[in-house]
Parts: sequence; structure tokens; C-alpha cells
Amino acid sequence: MSILENLQRRLIDAGLLPKFLAALPKLSMLLVSVSVMLMLYLPMDGQFRRTYISENALMPSQAYSYFRETEWNILRGYRKEIEVLSSHSSIERNAIMSSWLEEFGLKTSVYKNQEYGDSLYGVFNAPRGDGTESMVLAVPWYNAEDEFNVSGAALGVSLARFLSRWPVWSKNIIVVFSENPREALRSWVEAYHTSLDLTGGSIEAAVVLDYPGVSDYFEYIEVHYNGYNGVLPNLDLVNIAISIAEHEGLKVSLHGLTPDEMGNGDYWSRLKMISLGTKNLALTGVREVYGNEAFSGWRIQALTLKARGDTNHDVTTFGRVAEAMFRSINNLLEKFHQSFFFYFLLAPRYFVSIGSYLPAAVVLSISFAVASIDSFVNNQYVSMVDSSYYNLLSFIFWAVSVIVCFFLGNSFTYYPQPLLLLLGNVVISTIPLAAPKNLSISEPLAYRLKTISFMYLSLVMTSLLVVNFPLAFGMGLFAYPMTLVMLNNTDNLRLKTRNSILLAISNPFIAFWLFITIVESKLDGIEAIYGLVDAWNKLGSWTWFIFCIGWFPSWILVAISALKVEQVQTEPNSKKHL
Amino acid sequence: MRLFSLRLKLETLLAVLLILVISSATGTQEENIVSRDEGSEVGRSESSGLDVESLSRDESLSLSSVTSAETESLTSEKSITSEEPVVSTPSIHWDESIGVNEDVSYQFDEKLTLRPLPNNFLQSSFMFEMNSTEFTPGVSSIDFDKYSHYTVFPKVFNSILHTTSARKLQIRFTRGFWDAESWGRLPHDGFKAGGSGVELWAVIEADSKEDAYLKWKKLANLLGGIFCASLNFIDSSKTTFPHTSIADDFELPLFDSNKQLFLLRAALANEPVCTENLTPFVKLLPTKGKSGISTLLDGHKVFDSYWHSLSIDISTRCDATSNICYDHMEANVDVVLHVPSTLSRNEMSIPKPVSGDNLRCDETKFYDAFHCFPKSESTETSYLISKIYGRQLKGSNLISNHPSRVCADVSEDWNILIELNGEYFATDNNCFDLTNNAKNDIYFESSNTTSISKSDDVPVFVSRSLISYGNDRGGLRTVFRNPTNKDVRVKYLEALPWFMRVFLSTMKLETGDEAVEKEELRRLLSSMHYLPAIDRKRPTNLEYDITIPAFSTYVVSYQFEKTLLEFAEYPPDANHGFEVESAVITVVEPVNYQIRTSTLLLVLSTPDFSMPYNVIILSSTVMGLIFGTLFNLLVKRLLTIEEADRIKATSGPKYKLRKLKEKLLSKFAPRKKD
Repeated sequence: MSILENLQRRLIDAGLLPKFLAALPKLSMLLVSVSVMLMLYLPMDGQFRRTYISENALMPSQAYSYFRETEWNILRGYRKEIEVLSSHSSIERNAIMSSWLEEFGLKTSVYKNQEYGDSLYGVFNAPRGDGTESMVLAVPWYNAEDEFNVSGAALGVSLARFLSRWPVWSKNIIVVFSENPREALRSWVEAYHTSLDLTGGSIEAAVVLDYPGVSDYFEYIEVHYNGYNGVLPNLDLVNIAISIAEHEGLKVSLHGLTPDEMGNGDYWSRLKMISLGTKNLALTGVREVYGNEAFSGWRIQALTLKARGDTNHDVTTFGRVAEAMFRSINNLLEKFHQSFFFYFLLAPRYFVSIGSYLPAAVVLSISFAVASIDSFVNNQYVSMVDSSYYNLLSFIFWAVSVIVCFFLGNSFTYYPQPLLLLLGNVVISTIPLAAPKNLSISEPLAYRLKTISFMYLSLVMTSLLVVNFPLAFGMGLFAYPMTLVMLNNTDNLRLKTRNSILLAISNPFIAFWLFITIVESKLDGIEAIYGLVDAWNKLGSWTWFIFCIGWFPSWILVAISALKVEQVQTEPNSKKHL
Repeated sequence: MRLFSLRLKLETLLAVLLILVISSATGTQEENIVSRDEGSEVGRSESSGLDVESLSRDESLSLSSVTSAETESLTSEKSITSEEPVVSTPSIHWDESIGVNEDVSYQFDEKLTLRPLPNNFLQSSFMFEMNSTEFTPGVSSIDFDKYSHYTVFPKVFNSILHTTSARKLQIRFTRGFWDAESWGRLPHDGFKAGGSGVELWAVIEADSKEDAYLKWKKLANLLGGIFCASLNFIDSSKTTFPHTSIADDFELPLFDSNKQLFLLRAALANEPVCTENLTPFVKLLPTKGKSGISTLLDGHKVFDSYWHSLSIDISTRCDATSNICYDHMEANVDVVLHVPSTLSRNEMSIPKPVSGDNLRCDETKFYDAFHCFPKSESTETSYLISKIYGRQLKGSNLISNHPSRVCADVSEDWNILIELNGEYFATDNNCFDLTNNAKNDIYFESSNTTSISKSDDVPVFVSRSLISYGNDRGGLRTVFRNPTNKDVRVKYLEALPWFMRVFLSTMKLETGDEAVEKEELRRLLSSMHYLPAIDRKRPTNLEYDITIPAFSTYVVSYQFEKTLLEFAEYPPDANHGFEVESAVITVVEPVNYQIRTSTLLLVLSTPDFSMPYNVIILSSTVMGLIFGTLFNLLVKRLLTIEEADRIKATSGPKYKLRKLKEKLLSKFAPRKKD
């Protein structure tokens, strides 16, 4: 205790506290750079770990996989028949597939959804199981790139036929043929948990097969595992997929890169993977949807296996990966819980866990809190009484802006007008420049608005950073410029222009548009905003609403505070001298 | 009579043995006990090579010409279960009333029904029925001039029924998925099958509910011991007193008119059913799996099935006028096997891909050396039962007047033959009485396996599922589908664990996507009985009657809340959730039928079990800090910095050190000068 006492006395003697308070803006900036540095530091040697199968029961590839030899003939037989199905209507297609599935004893049913597309599903009741758990083999008729999933469907049906002959299953197997991997599959998953009559117990894991084309060969396997709202499948599931695929001699790629683009495993390639991982996870629902996303949020561990290229490995190898995965999942006595639920893969066999990357977002969220304290402390209004007019007014401003943003966000889900939204925000961003001279705001209110805005953003980020780290981190990074907006008390043109630019780039929608336009070459910025709204409406992704009620109200408050300010005299709080 | 002489030799041999072993003799009950002695001793002498089967096999040379006297002589040895040796004089008197009597046969009956199902499944129903000897209730065998005699009825149950006052007892071991849509009705109309796991019903005579529960608990523990099943896990939190009675075709007797009968039920969902349950089950039968149809009951085959159910029903039946009672026991084993996969497993234990030559391709579709659209399973079949069960039927039961009977329930597209010594015989009604002691086999042959014997329509399909898998809330959704053209009235019975807190206010009846109107609802859903759960003490008991109109589907759903369990209530082993037992649906109109839904898996929020450790560390740290601060506040003085500085200048370790140094210096310095 006496050491602390001494320390405190030294600090007071040196007058560090006022110095510290004066340095808050710099500290905030420092914290942001620390946060970015932390992320850059993660791919360094020693910061990441090699993946391992945490749940001993899984035992991937311990059993010999038999999906080979004549099963290939059968697969090709089915494929030949499926090739022509692309010209059929979805009802006919499902009817034919359903008759095939029933042939080997599956109970089938079609989930009808006029809006999003029908889904056919068949339940194979495990002879030795208790029928309370199941594994899903999902095959969208059309894949993420809107190609007809011919080989995928052929694999689906021939695998189901093959698996149904095995007596080893302890969990039911459900085969799903949905119209697309997006809303059709998502709506099926939701219906399965609410309104379907034919069910097969709680779904433990799902594997989505994506193998378009009729080629007998493929080159490498792509694993997609990002879910909505930052949900990832248990690392064990990804691990068994990768370990089984590599066991079969396949190359595994992540994030849609080719194995060459994956790099040689040096720092830069790992950095690339973590950046792509963060970006793609933050943008799930907006980018291509592969199918595994549909299962997120229901405690189902899901991933998509996608075949790429047309050389080297035959199609049954792809089937064997799925087969071995099912054998492995079937071994589970418990739910998937052993391994990590929050992680980033730096390479198929390297990962960083939440403990390593979380500090980056925490530091970022602290930097907003620091900015908030700065705008509270470092001005003459710090001694204002707590219940003063300006304090209350700022709270009312905040509450109103949250409510307005909520309704705005809601109305956009019915009438999305991305262009109007963007233009509107650009106009608001020019307020510091273009606002009429008589439109002004009192200085204490401006400071308080900033305080409350940054504090709110910091809280939003803090609550978001564990469940959806990429979104929290991205939001923090792109919203940061708004903390640099200075009060316009001099009416200086340069300052006003600076404020306008800062506001524009920290606006949620403009920043999102800019980011998509620069980074995602495949996507159009305006379309992406449609995508955000769509993802909220149809897929259950929260990103749109987090933008609307988490980020946007803060931005509006900052935009208001950037109006021309007027100095006022306030009564000081006699008790609170600092 | 060769056998008889052999038998007499045997008896003398045994008598000599007995004299050697038993020195003290009471000599009072000499006559009665003769046959019992023999029985027990012969039973034991199996190891010395004089086993009953070898006798019967010898005898069977004369095949069906076995006289009833011989049958009796054999079976009296076989039928008697192992008992404690009774002390007696080794008299070889032959009591005419008990010993070999031409007319005596035991009340035992066994029958095996084999029924091909669609898609090449085969249902086998083993049925065993037996009665105990007659007794008068309330009269103990000790003070009555009669001995307790257990012929074919398992002795162990006599004592259980006596100590627990159970008048009716049903135990079910069931596992698998009964595909009602394809296979039709359950065997015995579902009254002999349970939900997945173990199910126990009993009607107990007792003074009060508490007394009934105590007896029930004892019953469960005893049965658990007999069947090697975890029935000891049945406690008050799993036991219900259902209102819906189990179908009674006769009145159950009440031995003491001051007491009452209580119906109790408990189920252990997804309790694994396996060989260790089958072995004691078979041991209860008088044939003990050595002869008759029970020879087919091999654990490897019974449990390698798509659906199987072992059941035992015991009830006490009394004649109201004469006041004489007997216990009736019915044991059933029902198995559904997939014939092609069972047969192929004989060839190759792993279902590897078939060889190219054996591929069955659909030639109407595109087909070459690389492509093969699989053809459906062959509709032609021929197999022997021994290929399915791995064993042949060994002899008959030879205990009762009814020989073991094997029946095949098939359509006219099937040929059923019995194989005996390489020869095949057929009968008109496809039933075969096994009157010999040789190895029999049943041969099935059909050119069209899709044609099966017609069975009655399933009156209603019921499925139940959990909805909205949240961590705190959930819902149960039960779908009733009536495929028939008659309204079906069912009684629904459900016991839910206490950690599912049901909100009955959210109960809804829907058809299609619409909620049913109030008047309609009253008409359809009636006589609801609901007993809410008490935490850790009683499960929720929900019963209602519902009428499902013809050709319609109705959905009953309600919400529930999940409770947090106490730390120690989580199972210690790996678990994937908590089992919810199946609901029992009894159709009362237009037919009597019973089905059960599948069990469910309820996931409760599970704590991180390393958390207490973290909590201890964290709270200890906090405690430490608080203690330190408080201690400082209590023992330290509050001073201004100036005062503190002044005190510090005249005290403290630094000051003392300096003082010490000065002192030392002052001591040493003068000496140095010297």
C-alpha cells in the first residue's frame, strides 16, 4: 500500500493528471494506432497457434471412407439425370428428386415457400440412434454464383443413398435440396425450428455441398464457414473438414482464394488471410452467400465445401470428404463445445483465438471513450452542474436521434432507396460548410453532444465486440474520423471543409459505400446497401440495424455539433472543481 | 420306455448324492418335495453332462410320437427354476398327484409371427404367455397346507408382486424408429411397445399415494436389478400418476378392501436397450432360449434391427366367485429387420460399394460402363430364417399342450415352407406347429415382395418436435394427422421434466395455418388434466382428449421456459442435452390403438464448469483488496501530507537505518581512533 501511496504522491507532485487530461486527444489517436498495430502483430510468428482437434471423440479420417469404386458409376448415373433437370420447374425437380430419395427409404417432404423458393428435404432415421439429433447435408439447386449445382445434387443423392446403407449412424441424416443457398435455405432452417411437421431432431451440424458443372474432376476444395452476425462454426468442425480434405490429398483454400493466392505461409500471406477473414465475416450477407450461413443462429455448426477447378481429383473424393465428416460428427457424444467459437484462420492450419485478437477491438472502443471524456473535460463547461439545461438537452437530442434512426432504418427495410440515403448523408455532411449563418448551436451543447455520441458508440462497440468482432472493429475504424471533428467556433473555411470531409468519411453509409467500391471489385456500392437491407429482411443479418441504431445516431449528433457554435455563460458547479 | 429307466437311474444317482451331501433330514414333507428336488438337482446337473437337452434330443428321434407323459417328465425337470435346495429325505416315492401325470401340462404358450413389411423389412413377433399356479389371496403359503410352487411362471416375479402389491405391471424396452407410414400399425396395436428407452407402468394396491410411491420405488429398484436397466433412476421427479388408464380388459383384484389401486408410470427416455436387458429377459422364460422359438433370440440380431421392443406384462387375475387367483405373464419381443442388409451383412460385414458385376442399373435410363442409375431393390427374394437370425429353431417348448407355433403373415405372393432334415413342407394357413425336437428352419420365398398381407390403417400419425431453440424459452409442437375417413378420438398423455416450465396459457390448437375458433376448440379438445410440476419433485403431467376430424391435420403447441439447474444436477458424464420422454397417444375411437412420439432432446444452458474456479480466484482477490483497504482504514491515521512528511523524517525504516548507521559509526569510530 505504501508503494501505491508513494506513487500517487509522486504523480500529484509531478502534476501528471492535468497533463494527462490535456493529452486525451493524442491518447485517443494513440489507442487507435495501437489497435491497428495489434491486428498487424497477430500474424507474426509466435502470436498464432496451429489448429488441433480438441474434441477427442471426433477422430476424423480414422475410419476408411468407402465412397468410391462403383459409387462413382451411381453418382454419374444420377448426374446424367440431373443434368436435364435444370430446365424443369422447381416443383418438378423436387418431385423427381423426392421419388429417388424415397426409393431408399428416406421420408421426404417439401417445404413450400412462394416468396423465397421451395426446399425439398428427406430424413433418414438412424437405425441405431435415438432420433433426437441429426446432421444435415444441404445441396442448393443453384449455388452462390447462380450456377446449376449438377454434381452437387448428384453427390447429395448418391451420398444419401450410400450413407443410408450404413448401420453406424447415431444421428439422423437430413438431406436438403433448397432452391438457392440464400433465403430459400435460410427460410427452411427457420421453418424447421418452427413449423415443419416432418422433423428429425435437433440439428447438430450441417455440410453444404457446392459442386457446379458436370466435370468428373476438381482441383481443390474451398471451405466457407462465415456465418451471419459474426457467428462462426466451432473450430473443430472446420478442423475436421480441413484435416479430412488434406488426408484425401486435397488442397484446401479459404476465403475464395486459389491455393496459389493463399501464399507460402509467410507473414504477408497470413496478414492477407486475417484481413480477408475480418472483412468477409463483417460483410456476410452482403457478399456471396454459400449456404452455411443459413444455419447460423440456431446452434448449428455449418460449413460449405465448394469444388474448384477441373483436374486431378475425382468427384468421389469430394464425396468422401463429406462422408468422413459425417462419420466424424456422428462420433460426437456431446455437442460441439470443446474448441473455439471465435477465431480467425491465418492459414488452413493456423489460427488466432479470441483472447489474442479481442484487445484490438477493446482498445479501439476505449479510444472512443477517451474521446468522449476529452470533449467533456477539456473545456470550460466541465464545471457545469449535472442537471443543467445543456446536459438534459443533449440527452434528448441523443434519444430523438436514436428513435429517428430506428424508424428510418425500419422504413428502409420496406422502401430501400440507397441512392437517396447516400445523397442525403452527403448533404448532411456538408452542414458545416453550407449551413446558413444564422443556424448555430450553443457551445456547451456541442461539447455535450460529442461526449454523449462517442460514449454511445463506445458502448455499442463494447457490447458488439465479443459476438461480432469484425463489425465492431470495422465500425470503430471507420467511425474514428468523427472524433477529429472540431467545434466550429472560429468560422474558418479550412476548418469547416475539414469537418465536412471527416463527417463524410465517417458516415456509416458513405463509409460502407466507399469501402465496398474500393475493396469489393465484384460488388457495386449501391447494390451492397440493397444487400444490407436484404440481408436484414430475408437472412436475419443484423448489420443494417447496427449501422442504423448504433453508428448513425452518433454520427448525427457529431454532425449537429459541427454547426457554428455560440459561446454562452453557464453556472459552474461549485463542488466539482478539477 | 427307455427314457423312464434312464430317469430312474438318474434319480437313484441323485438320491445317493443327496444322502452324501445332506446329513440332517426333516422328513415331514417328503412326498411333496420329491419332484422339486429332482428338478433343481437335474437343473444343476447340466454341467455333469446329463443335460436336459441331450435327453430331449435323444428322445426326439421318435419325433412327434412323444407321449404327453414323456413330455411332462422332461418338462418338469426343465420348467422349474433354480431354487434354494430344499432339505428333505431322499425318498423316491412317487406322488401320483404331482409327478408324471398324463394330463398335466403347464400353462405356457409361445408363438412366433413373421410378417414381411414393405421395402423388404421383416417383422418378427415373439409371444410368450404363462400363468402361475393358483393361489388364494390373503392366505400365506406358510400357514396353509400347501407349498409354493412355481412352474413356468418366474419365481422372481412372484416375490416382487407380493412385496410391492403390484396387481399389474408393464415394462417396455423399446428402441428405433417405427415407420408407421410404410409399415402400418405397430404390433399388438401398439399396446406392447414403449417409447424409445424404458417405460414402466404398474397398478399398485396401497393405503395412500405415499405408500403406493414407496412400493413403486421398491418395484423399480427390483426390476432394475432383474433387467440390468437403470430403473433405479426412477424417482418422484419422473413418476406420474396418470388419469388415463392403461387398457384394461378385465377388472384388477383388490386383495384388501381397505386399500386402493394406484396407477403409476415412469419412463426413462433413450435409456439404451441392449443384450444385458435381453439376457435376463430370456432367462425368465421356461425355455430359457434353449428350445422353442426363444432359440432365435440372439442379441446380435435383435439389436441390429431398425426397431425392437421387449415387453413384459404381468397381471393378477381372480375368479370373483371362488376367490382363487393366478398371475398371468405375457412376454413379447418384436423386431423389425431389413432383410437385404441383414443378409448382406452375413456376406460382408461392411457395406462396401458393390462390385461392378453386381451393380443393378436401371436400363430405361442412360447406362454404360461409367453410368449407372440405381434400380430399386429387387422384389424377388428367398431366404431362410436361420440366415436372418443366425440360428435355427431348436425344437419345441414341449411343456404345454400347445406346441411352439410359427406363423407367417403373408399375402398369396409368398411361399412359406418349413425345412426339416433337408425336406420342405408347407401348410395351408402358413402356420407350423413345432412338435419335434429337431432343428427347424422357415423358408421365405416371393416373386413380389411389395405384396404384403393387408393390415388395418393407422388411425392417426402423431409427431412432436421442439420449436425455437433458444436458451431460455422453447415450445412443443405436436402434429396430429388423421389419414382415415372417420373422426379419431385420442387420449394424449405427456409427462415433462420439471425443468421445462410449461405455460399452458400459450396452448394453441391450429389447423393449416389458422387457429381454431373457440367453440370448435371446445368440441375438439376436452377433459384436460394438468398437474404442474414441482421443482425436483414432480414432473408436469398433461393429459387431454382430442378429436381429430377425418382427413385433417391439427397442431397443438405451447411454450415453456427452461429452468437453470443447480451445479450438481448436471450429469457428470458427457451429455448432449436432456432427454424428454415420448408422449403416449391412445386412440379410443374408432379403434383401440396406441402410439408414442419420438423422444426429444432439450438443451439447457450449461455453465462453464471451470467457472467456479475462476469465481473463487476473482472473489478472493476482491476480498483481499477489501480487507487490505479496511485494515488500513482501521489501523492507520489520516494525516496531511506535511504532517506525514514530518513524521516520516523522524520515523520509518529509512530514518531508523540512518540512526543505526550513526550509532554504529559512533561506536566504531572511537575504537578506530584508538
